[in-house]
Amino acid sequence: MLYRCIQAENLKLKHSVIYLAFLVIPIIPAIMGTFNYMQNLELLKSGWYSLWTQITLFYASFFYAPLIGIYCSYTWRLEHTHNNWNTFMSMPVSIVSSYLAKLVCIMKVTVLTQLWISILFFIGGKMCGLPGIFSPEIILWLLRGTLAAVTIASLQLLLSMLIRNFAIPIGIALFGSIAGMFMTNADLGNFWPYSLMMLGMNSNQNEDVLSSFAGTASFFASVILFFLLFFGCAVWWLRTKDVRS
Amino acid sequence: MNNIITTNALTKEYDHKKVVNTLDLHVPEGSVYGFLGPNGAGKSTTLKMLLGLVKPTGGEIRVFGKKLSQENRLEILKQTGSLIEAPSYYGHLSGKENLRIICKLKNVPEKDIMRVLHLVRMEKQMDKKVKNYSLGMKQRLGIAAALLGSPRLLLLDEPTNGLDPAGIQEIRELIRDLPEHGITVLVSSHLLAEIDQMATDVGIIDKGHLIFQDSLVILHEHSRSRILFQTSDNEAAFRLLNTAGMSVKWETDSFYLDHVSDDIVMDAVGQCVNAGIGVFRVTEQQKSLEDIFLSLTGKQVSL
Repeated sequence: MLYRCIQAENLKLKHSVIYLAFLVIPIIPAIMGTFNYMQNLELLKSGWYSLWTQITLFYASFFYAPLIGIYCSYTWRLEHTHNNWNTFMSMPVSIVSSYLAKLVCIMKVTVLTQLWISILFFIGGKMCGLPGIFSPEIILWLLRGTLAAVTIASLQLLLSMLIRNFAIPIGIALFGSIAGMFMTNADLGNFWPYSLMMLGMNSNQNEDVLSSFAGTASFFASVILFFLLFFGCAVWWLRTKDVRS
Repeated sequence: MNNIITTNALTKEYDHKKVVNTLDLHVPEGSVYGFLGPNGAGKSTTLKMLLGLVKPTGGEIRVFGKKLSQENRLEILKQTGSLIEAPSYYGHLSGKENLRIICKLKNVPEKDIMRVLHLVRMEKQMDKKVKNYSLGMKQRLGIAAALLGSPRLLLLDEPTNGLDPAGIQEIRELIRDLPEHGITVLVSSHLLAEIDQMATDVGIIDKGHLIFQDSLVILHEHSRSRILFQTSDNEAAFRLLNTAGMSVKWETDSFYLDHVSDDIVMDAVGQCVNAGIGVFRVTEQQKSLEDIFLSLTGKQVSL
């Protein structure tokens, strides 16, 4: 049933503008990060590692969550317009499947976004004349950032489902990310969902923030607990509230 | 006959106002059930409760003999097609792509798309983006989507909205033929004439109350025909029958008998003829459905 729902969601996203956002938006933090790196070469002496901290400083703090927010707002906008809530909720598929299908499609685009930012990172590095390729631990951080994205996507899906305005949930994501910087700096990152991106991606840090076992464990616990919370809220809401169209 | 939908004291309250009030619907299997009422009477809210889109404040719904609940919801929805309020569609996709989405979700083979498109005569427009469709075409697409997979029950909310007269006729004929294919239809409308032309059974709702529910035939019996007399001397005939104790009523230049048996009509004609009054015409006149609605609700229905 979930597979059929995912197929249906994929069909809905055909000819959609979601892919334009996916292509264009990550270019901005890539340029900003690379430029910042070039400006501060005397401080940033760790090559690929330093470039990564700079690109992810912008990407994880300002762009990643709002970008997922755009994907989520777009997918719900399809249902919010043209009376689609009635059909969405009267199909013979479970609410959990309908909702998970949206999440899976968002994650598909998000994984592509992560791939795209890593390609941009590589291009940026080559343009700065960095030798060879980046170290494999960056791939680990990309994967951790993708995992954090599951939590953010479940939060943004919840917000965009409840708020029928396209921009407000994206604004919340931007505000949440900026607040996330402070929370991370105050060592409270695991208690603030938007900080999980920065922690996972290891953005703007001198060394891996999650090198210790306790750090890793609390990161994963936070990712899972926040995900369950947001997912549970969404399913509860869909089950109990009247559909208005 | 089995009822495919039964509701028991179904009630929905919004802000302490009962939009639907202790409704006992009985939709017989194999019927076209016309759900009639003025705008805002609670028709759409009722249909949305039948689909589980709106949760009742009170009462119980049974569809296909099963209680509508979280556990039975999918089982019921599998066999139900619906078009509620206005057609749903994804504007950036073609008509056919929209139907493919429904096929996936309903687990219906995609070859069914051509069948339903043919039924609503939309084959030629199927590759156009739906945002460029007229309202009538969107409505047809919505009906096609509801018909996908030949559901046992079809809920249609004002399905002829936005259609031109020829389209309205086509859709009516389509709906009328559905019970032959084993489909029970619950169709709402605020138009009496429309329900009169396609329904076999009627429920009339006004301000959330069900004020009439029975077969269309019974509704027509309610229309209490009257027998209009035209004779060679209407005044004399009126006086004659009046003194004979018949309940004749005078209207402009002739008279009529209200809702009487054949025997009384025969008797009245006989008396006129015996008194030497020539009887030209004895005609039965039916009250229109509008008149019935007026007598049931005490107010004019919007037409």
